[in-house]
Amino acid sequence: MLSEAQQQKISLLSDTVLYPEAVAFIRKLVDEQDCSPLPTTQVKGLQSIAESYQFNELHRYIVHQFERNWPDSKSSIKTLYIELDRLFTTMKNKRLRDEFHLMGEERGSREARAMEDALMAALAREFIQHMVAENGLLELEEKQRRAREQRERTANRGGNRQ
Amino acid sequence: MNQGMQIIREVSATAETDAFYGKAEQFGRHAAHVLRGSRSQLTGLENIAESTLKTTDILDYIKKQTARYQSWQRGFPQATNPNMGFGEGLKQYFEKDLRATRDAMCNGRLKIGDKTDKDKLLRRRVYLLLMRQFIRQMVIEYEYSVSQARGSR
Repeated sequence: MLSEAQQQKISLLSDTVLYPEAVAFIRKLVDEQDCSPLPTTQVKGLQSIAESYQFNELHRYIVHQFERNWPDSKSSIKTLYIELDRLFTTMKNKRLRDEFHLMGEERGSREARAMEDALMAALAREFIQHMVAENGLLELEEKQRRAREQRERTANRGGNRQ
Repeated sequence: MNQGMQIIREVSATAETDAFYGKAEQFGRHAAHVLRGSRSQLTGLENIAESTLKTTDILDYIKKQTARYQSWQRGFPQATNPNMGFGEGLKQYFEKDLRATRDAMCNGRLKIGDKTDKDKLLRRRVYLLLMRQFIRQMVIEYEYSVSQARGSR
């Protein structure tokens, strides 16, 4: 159970740190690593796990997703889950204590692990909410780009006939 | 005057400026043009804005609506950029202009820093109040524009 102070801190981190990072994370994958935005089915699965389960369950889901044998046409889904796993691992092992100051130095005990899990679940939920919202815009941009290209092709064909 | 009261007073003063009010009017007319009878779409935005403590909940909501509904993607012939969709325009205004307004207020008369968590929470409060005020004014203009359009039919 998170304290009021921890919840307030996470809410502030969500606005000041996680939002810009989630936007940059998904934009970088799409713009620089040629990934496609995450398809709706994946978005729904990830969101529902993030909202209803503990962090270790979410982590298991993410690992399961990137270990699957995705066909080449869906390799960007695998890439996204690999990168998401990296990001959450760094957050859990380092940033939770060193940067976010949400926990003391205690590690290993059952209480510390439970607290770590609860904090990470809350942080991951926020991050995924922001990532999914930006992902929707990226999907829309891609749809609009395809429609524009289609229109241009049609216009060029019309021009060539004249 | 305590800081909470000072923030409310400064936000009210900012909301009365031509730049702020004019922009809210413009987005209200844009909303009336693209959403027309879909009042519930703005009710959802109002509800989020009035109930959340996180400014990013409002931004995420705008993004989701923009991705989901074509009406939120439509431009407005009378806007500075007629091709800019309603949702994208509103998101950009909040993320750039209103954030800059917040910074100017905090760095100026409110004298709120940006280093400690206490300062960051206050800055967020100012930003949230500006967003709420903007949405309220935008919705009023939307209602007015829709009623004018009905009357002229």
